[in-house]
Amino acid sequence: MIIRYMRFPSFITSSSALRSLQWALKKLVPIGCALAGAMSHAQTLSVTLLDQNANPVEGAVIELLVPDELKGNFQNTTDIVVDQVDKEFVPRVSIVVAGNQVSFPNSDDILHHVYSFAPINTFNIPLYGREEEARFSQEFPISGVVEIGCNIHDWMLAYIYVSETALSSISDSGGLASLLDLPLGNYQLRVWHPRLSESDNNLIVDVEISAEATTNLDLSLELERERKIRRAPSSSKNRYK
Amino acid sequence: MAGSPLSFSFGSFQSRLSFFLLCLLLPVLGGTFYFVNKNNVEYTEETINSYLEIGADVFDFTRMQKAETLKAITNSLTWDFGFRTAYASNDPATIFDAALNVLDRSLDNADMLMIVDLDYKVIIDTEIQGNDTLTGPWLELITKAEASEEGFADAITVIDGAPFQLIALPLYLPRQVAWIVGGFVLDQEFAEQVSETVVSEVSILRLSSASGLQLVASSLEPSRQDKLIDQILVSAEFLGALQTVDFGDEIYTSLVRSLFRSEDSELQVFAVIQRSYDENSENVILFQRLLIELYAVVIVLSLIAVFALSRSITNPLASLAGAVQKIEKGNYDLKVDVKSRDEIGHLAAMVNSMAKGLIEKEKVRDLLGKVVSKQIAEQLLSHPIELGGEEKVVTVLFSDIRGFTTFCEGLAPKQVLEELNRVLSTISNIIESHSGVVDKFQGDAVMALFGAPITGDSDAENAMLATLEIVKALEAVDSRLSACVGINTGLVVAGNLGSDNRLNYSVIGDAVNLSARLEGLTRLYNVPNIVSEASCLAAPNFVYKELDTVCVAGKKQPVVIYELLGERGAVSKQTLDEAERFAEALKAYRAKDWSLAESLFSQLHSSCDNKVLHQVFLARIQDYKSAAPPENWGGVFVFGTK
Repeated sequence: MIIRYMRFPSFITSSSALRSLQWALKKLVPIGCALAGAMSHAQTLSVTLLDQNANPVEGAVIELLVPDELKGNFQNTTDIVVDQVDKEFVPRVSIVVAGNQVSFPNSDDILHHVYSFAPINTFNIPLYGREEEARFSQEFPISGVVEIGCNIHDWMLAYIYVSETALSSISDSGGLASLLDLPLGNYQLRVWHPRLSESDNNLIVDVEISAEATTNLDLSLELERERKIRRAPSSSKNRYK
Repeated sequence: MAGSPLSFSFGSFQSRLSFFLLCLLLPVLGGTFYFVNKNNVEYTEETINSYLEIGADVFDFTRMQKAETLKAITNSLTWDFGFRTAYASNDPATIFDAALNVLDRSLDNADMLMIVDLDYKVIIDTEIQGNDTLTGPWLELITKAEASEEGFADAITVIDGAPFQLIALPLYLPRQVAWIVGGFVLDQEFAEQVSETVVSEVSILRLSSASGLQLVASSLEPSRQDKLIDQILVSAEFLGALQTVDFGDEIYTSLVRSLFRSEDSELQVFAVIQRSYDENSENVILFQRLLIELYAVVIVLSLIAVFALSRSITNPLASLAGAVQKIEKGNYDLKVDVKSRDEIGHLAAMVNSMAKGLIEKEKVRDLLGKVVSKQIAEQLLSHPIELGGEEKVVTVLFSDIRGFTTFCEGLAPKQVLEELNRVLSTISNIIESHSGVVDKFQGDAVMALFGAPITGDSDAENAMLATLEIVKALEAVDSRLSACVGINTGLVVAGNLGSDNRLNYSVIGDAVNLSARLEGLTRLYNVPNIVSEASCLAAPNFVYKELDTVCVAGKKQPVVIYELLGERGAVSKQTLDEAERFAEALKAYRAKDWSLAESLFSQLHSSCDNKVLHQVFLARIQDYKSAAPPENWGGVFVFGTK
């Protein structure tokens, strides 16, 4: 259960159905980590993210940057799904390990036009509906952040964090993000958030994964003001659902 | 002007009334005109002011509305997938063309586009100003947009000397990747558009230190544009304040608003909103004219009313004055024809009734004058009528007509009365002509007063003159008629005698009785008149003949009686001789020298006309010869009966 949680954090964090389970797991994490550390000597990094007003930052991505020679040890082949539900991308922030596929199913009754103008992955999936599954899978070969939009609904926006390795996680509503099975040593940790007031919204911090079972890190992030694009008033009425 | 400097005298009631009316009317009219006009002018200026304020607001409103349109267009187009695809191409030439395409599609709502990345680096600029990085007002615009919730800002700036309205919006791809700035030029078309909306003239001016004040756009006629540049004041203290611009044939009220001011104040842009002052004050001028016309009508009508009013007063007054003048001259037979029921009508009625009263009074006076003598009538009319009277010395004349009965023989009663009246009129006229007063008529006898009611200087003399005339007049009337007159002067009581209802002005007293007795004695002595001694003394300028000394009936005091012969110097020699001889005879008689007296009276009796007189004395002498008179006789003859 723990491993599953770690591997598919986006699923777990985004699925409101699993909220209660998530809450139960959170309570079990310390115990779980202690057990895992004792068994495999693998370490856990627990990062708490707060903004300048001391509010927990949700939806931030942390990625432990390991040397190239170690990257091979922390790959996976997991494809992810960014759904479109009620004219919103779900989840808003996802992590995919570079080289894997992200599919953009359409759960609405209307057509969507998903696009990205990101230089690392520019693509364009013109109008498609529910049943056209073959069209909306897209490979993300290069690590970086890709913003996804819909040409029909200007306010629809999703971030795909294309990570170098699987050592990445998204902060929950409590601002807490954890990485498990980490190798000992000194590394850099990258923190990303769409409103992070840094170049490319990236913050790099040094972190030492020590013999301690859990390394706790508290980070304060400088977030920029959010400028949301308003939903078209009529679209919330779902007249064409 | 007359008298003190403060008292004016007017030639007529009308001019006085007009003057006072104008004194009242002009300040009231002038005052109302002043205040109404003042208010109107203020109101007009307020109206113009508010029109211009509205004009300036509409200018801004139109500008902002156009900016909103520009924003909508820019916003809409920047979300256009084609445009964004072009932008994503990262090729400035393509982006530039895409921007020009947007301008084409905007239907002239946008005149320029600029795209700036989030580091304020210029990606494209359709105006090709050649800046790499934004500075000055451009940077300010973007900073303002960044600070706003919506990511929107607007500003005015100048590109190549032309004022531009700018808006800034984020360009999303789908996150914001750039700022897009749209702009339209505030040009002639814009000025005319606002001008049409606000019905005012709209001009846009540019002030630069290099080329001074220049016109950018204006809805004014070209001939007026130079005058605007010459006259308009754009320094800070004149912004927002009203100023006037004289275009020669018309004056415009103007309001200047600042649109743009560069940081170093090298360049400024102003909007000028103007409105014709004359056009706006047309109503005021019209109102002024109407007011003046109304006032003229009011004044004319008032003057007409004053004229009519004064005529309604002066006309009756004139006829009243005429009437009073006639009354003054004694013409009471008039009627003032004033029909009004006001005070003047009342006055006219009073004058009429006064005239009527005067007529009555005159009638009374006339009648009184006929019934009583004129002087008594005057006395009665001019003094309060009272019973009682005053003591005064009066000469009383009694006149009787001798031979009247013979004269009237064979005449009808009416003819008798006519003749009597004729004779009495003659007598009373003579008396009145000598200032005598006829006291009463008793049959053919007349009683007259001299010295009552009014005491004169020569009452007794007048009585003598009247007597002489009466005697002569009666002889002239008919040879059968002769007058017999008794005159006495003495103290009487004069006044109104009678009851409260019926009065008689008369005199009473012994003097009156004596006068009547003397008249009675004339028959005895056969003389035309007998005058008492008192009267003789009172009228010394006449010649008298002493007749006798008598005691009249009822009187113990003897009285010397005389016959009036005439005025001194007018009596004939014969008469004077006779009188002398009579005096000698009377002397002998009184001395009881009966034989001498008898001889003298006998001589007179044979030589004189008046046989009766001398016979009286001859008879007495015969009596005294037989029975001598008492010792204290003194020549007095006592009459036993009246």
